[in-house]
Amino acid sequence: MSQVGWEKPKHPLKRKRSQRVQFITAGVVILVSLLYLLVSGTLQGARYFITVAEVLDDPAHRGRTLRVSGAVDGESIDYDSENAIIRFEIVHIPSQYDDLAQALHDALGDANAPRMKIIVEDAAIPDLLQHEAQAILTGALERDGLFHATELLLKCPSRFEESSPPEALGQIPEHN
Amino acid sequence: MLAELGLAALTLALAGALYAIAACLYSARTGERRWLQSGRNAALLTCPALLLATGALVVALLTEQYQLSYVYQVTDPGTPPLYRFTALWGAQRGSLLFWSLLMSCFICGAIGLNWRGERRLMPFCIPIMMASLAFFLCLSLFIENPFERWWILVDAPVEQQVVSSALIPPRAVPPTEANLRAGAEGMNPLLRHFGMVIHPPMLYLGFVGFTIPFAFALAALASGDLSNSWIRATRRWTLIAWLFLSLGLILGGRWAYDVLGWGGYWGWDPVENAAFLPWLVGTAFIHSVMIQEKRGMLKLWNMLLVIAAFSAVMFGTFATRSGVIDSVHSFARSEVGFPMLAFWAAMTLLALALLAWRWRGGALRDERQFASLLSRESLFVLNNVIFIALFVAIFWGSFGLPITSELFLGKEITIGAQTFEFYVVPLFVAMYILMGVAPLAAWGGMTAARLGGMLRIPLLLTALGVLGLTIGGTDLLVAALGYGVVLFAAIVGLCEIMRGVAARRRTLGENPLRAFVALFGRNQRRYGGYMVHLGVTVIGIGVIGSTIFQTEVQHTLDRGETVVIQDYALQYEDFVRAQAVDGRLMHIASLVVLRHGDEVARIRPRIDEYPQLPMSIAGAHSTLENDFYVLLIRGDRQRATFRIYINPLVNLVWWGGLLLILGTAIAAYPKVTRA
Repeated sequence: MSQVGWEKPKHPLKRKRSQRVQFITAGVVILVSLLYLLVSGTLQGARYFITVAEVLDDPAHRGRTLRVSGAVDGESIDYDSENAIIRFEIVHIPSQYDDLAQALHDALGDANAPRMKIIVEDAAIPDLLQHEAQAILTGALERDGLFHATELLLKCPSRFEESSPPEALGQIPEHN
Repeated sequence: MLAELGLAALTLALAGALYAIAACLYSARTGERRWLQSGRNAALLTCPALLLATGALVVALLTEQYQLSYVYQVTDPGTPPLYRFTALWGAQRGSLLFWSLLMSCFICGAIGLNWRGERRLMPFCIPIMMASLAFFLCLSLFIENPFERWWILVDAPVEQQVVSSALIPPRAVPPTEANLRAGAEGMNPLLRHFGMVIHPPMLYLGFVGFTIPFAFALAALASGDLSNSWIRATRRWTLIAWLFLSLGLILGGRWAYDVLGWGGYWGWDPVENAAFLPWLVGTAFIHSVMIQEKRGMLKLWNMLLVIAAFSAVMFGTFATRSGVIDSVHSFARSEVGFPMLAFWAAMTLLALALLAWRWRGGALRDERQFASLLSRESLFVLNNVIFIALFVAIFWGSFGLPITSELFLGKEITIGAQTFEFYVVPLFVAMYILMGVAPLAAWGGMTAARLGGMLRIPLLLTALGVLGLTIGGTDLLVAALGYGVVLFAAIVGLCEIMRGVAARRRTLGENPLRAFVALFGRNQRRYGGYMVHLGVTVIGIGVIGSTIFQTEVQHTLDRGETVVIQDYALQYEDFVRAQAVDGRLMHIASLVVLRHGDEVARIRPRIDEYPQLPMSIAGAHSTLENDFYVLLIRGDRQRATFRIYINPLVNLVWWGGLLLILGTAIAAYPKVTRA
């Protein structure tokens, strides 16, 4: 004959409470760790994304790691392939614009626009580094007056934006 | 003619989608089944209509109909036929149409396969899917129309004479064929790569695929049928979407590695990150959905994840297509930005409102509570926490920080790749550890001693592996630890597969190969999942090797000169200029790669000169051990400068990706049941 037994768990409420404490503790530890990771990472790595004029006008920006955007002056591009050093100049573009291609074009056409000399060391010359490209650089403006860039992102909007109506198409066919 | 056909088909698809929404909602209100059937038929009509519209655009691209301003924008007479076809997704307008076609294919598949089983959800499911489709069709018809043509307005001033319009303006004539052919702009050279042939379709399939689980989840919320029915219906669709999204991300990495010429494959660019975000949420959902199926838990959480995945897809689409984000991957600035943002916000708010309504009614209560920290469900939740933490960190760095700083400080603050790595490396370490521990834990809970016992052999093997690596020359502690963590997850996955094979051999007497095949056939999800884990570990090894041990140098060589880099030697042999059939001028350097004094490869890095910009195409000698990757910087027959990378284990990233895709395909493959 088989025996049927039912054992009442010891202090079930206590056990449940201790499990809840375990879950809450684990949750708090995870949350605090994640917050620490986010906050400390942001504090260490954050850099302002500003314009050329702002960098040049405010001495407080000198020596600080920044992100700067400007229009590339094609004539100033110089690549020292022996030492892998890129030098070029960027011209101030406003932080807000409707049409990037037009903003870049206008900036390079303005003889009075603020300009900044860039140096990128130990880098291959990017294919997109061309006249009227938008350069987005991370680095610092040093005492030598050069912006020493450690990251270089380029966009060539005039080449890839949706095409505006080409006037050359406007030659009316003779048969019409 | 093709433009008219395309426009008519697009309009028909939009009408079908709108009718389907109205008919199905009416059916939901009245319970009349014929309206539901009518709505379903209208929804099914969108697919052939969009096939027709897309077909018209493809024919226009292949037959050089340059009066269509899209064809004029993305091709020119020199474009090869393959790239004429892929030009369909080469710019905003064509790719939006293609996106809609893929979405309608997914929707038709979901309706066709789930019509019988999930009929109760259809009155809400179809309208949600059709609303998403209708939104993209509206973008194609009213903002980014691929069937617009160039017209010359006879009476207009010269500078306003040429317009692009879908309809024929009054007193307008078409430009001459000669002018159109001469002015055609051609494809962005960055897109002329095999990776670009298949990367965008895969990514789009992944993105649009998340519409299906989202629609079923919302239909469950709207209808009140909150059983596991919607999960059963959408589990496989989620896996399929996830598979394509994974494939799209891997191919995107490969494209960046081959085309962008910086020797890397992931740059923490905002657009890359925007595509990675839904993948992270989708991965969390694929894991947590198992807990709902097996334990009746996390019902609210799973709903939230499905909503978040779709919301991340819409946000990623906005980030890529609005052009507001600076990235090499983004489309040009477009008018679609604001409507997309509005649609994203509207759908997300609608979903959250429905969720809050059902939650308040108590319909999303879990059937069980978590019993132990050391249970499989608890570890799966921890896995979800890690994926969501990765999501939050990457979203914060890519979008949250720049937007909030701009709003509150008036200045945009950004972070770079190093900070992203600071965020994600500890989280990925935790993910790999969990990938090793969670499969060994039991549902419901187990003691620490028992779990420790199960971990003993994998940990021992991991320690031996790390010791072997250290003896073999991996002298960096960080790398050895990284390899150790990844190895641990891989060993657990392999041990689980081997245990399954051994069990079949023992009980059924099968030979090892048969037992292995049968194991995957009998329990596709579980063992497909292990294969995905193995793929992720192989990727992890590739990422650690290629990131920590990458070598990058630059040398200028005279013709015939040799330079030694580690155990390789590179000899500059020759330099030629040639013209390709599509008109581009190519500057090609020939180099001999030697290893330990023996010739192992001849490579030809080159620079292609397109009218828009030059393109550097790397020459590479690839082995499983490393990639010897060379870029031509500049040169002539006498002298040339090269950028040389040695990327250890980088090919494991692609092979691991293949394993991941194979595992997902096994897990998602429909099970054949014998009657």
